[in-house]
Amino acid sequence: MNGQSRAKRDSQESTNANATTLISYLLGGLAFWGGVGWVADWALGFSGLFLPIGLGLGLVASIYLIYTQHVRS
Amino acid sequence: MGADVSVVAASEPGCHIFNDFGCGFEAPTVSLFFPTPWLDFGLPGTSGLNKYYLVAVVALIIAAAFWYFTTRRSKVVPGRGQSMAEMLVGFLRDQVTRTTMGKEGDKFLPLMVTLFLFIFCMNIMGLIPGLQLPVTSNLAFPAVLALFIFVLWNVVGIRRHGVGAHFKARLVPGGVPGWILPVVVPIEALSNFVIRPATHMIRLFATMFAGHLLLALFAAAGFYMFNPLSPMGAGFGALSVGYSAIALVGFLVFTAFELFIMAVQAYVFVLLSSIYLGEAMEGAH
Repeated sequence: MNGQSRAKRDSQESTNANATTLISYLLGGLAFWGGVGWVADWALGFSGLFLPIGLGLGLVASIYLIYTQHVRS
Repeated sequence: MGADVSVVAASEPGCHIFNDFGCGFEAPTVSLFFPTPWLDFGLPGTSGLNKYYLVAVVALIIAAAFWYFTTRRSKVVPGRGQSMAEMLVGFLRDQVTRTTMGKEGDKFLPLMVTLFLFIFCMNIMGLIPGLQLPVTSNLAFPAVLALFIFVLWNVVGIRRHGVGAHFKARLVPGGVPGWILPVVVPIEALSNFVIRPATHMIRLFATMFAGHLLLALFAAAGFYMFNPLSPMGAGFGALSVGYSAIALVGFLVFTAFELFIMAVQAYVFVLLSSIYLGEAMEGAH
């Protein structure tokens, strides 16, 4: 395989990987940190304080992961 | 679908639009996907032996027969059947395994070709008259396939890189400062070990489920609206036939579209499997 076709393959592979992992990162971030926020609300007796904080943290962390793993690299 | 839809649409005699009975249209429900078991063992959480098993066996026989009849007399200059089989293998090799894993992916080509044809046959059962039930519209079937790929993904990664390196690559994202790791490692874990296999199976299941329900809806609507002998007059009778024709044209158009979707979903399932395996071979990203 020559260099050009290898680069093309790598580029396509990267695009495929991006498309499949992007949604799972976003869902994972929201589900995990949103879940932690919900549990914190439930355990500490708050109603709707930590849940939005957790969701926000999860969203930011997911976008950061997408950026570091698939945009910057 | 056929028998169930007839029951749904015609369960109340005289239930058509443009007559004195009315009764209202009963849309097909998810009961389409819970066929009555022929043999129920009474085990908790099981469905017994039902139509899904029969259709799955038919799909398996069709997939096996395809290979048997196209390759039993292989020649250097291929005949029509052998050409078709070679085209399928060549297409999946060039578009799936080599694109995602390079030449190394050739060892997974038999698996991918088998998976593709088996899934396509299971999907296409939704269009075979008399059977009309896509096997993959039952979550259990895509779940087993996705679980198999998930296990294989781990086995390939562990064999290639060792247990520690495989799980480290899947849990600890590269290029991230240490103090951020507690925030992102759970996301990476959930993403790789729960959400990815879940979306892998749900994608196939949901498209087949929704497509089949849509076809059932068009068929039931066409049947319900067909009332040429309406007691409300010939004009209404003709109108009902026109409405019915629109629904049946929709049914035919969506049947053709569904056939395309069935092939695409089989391809997407195999492509994603191949991407995951390629990633496991590659190691850390």
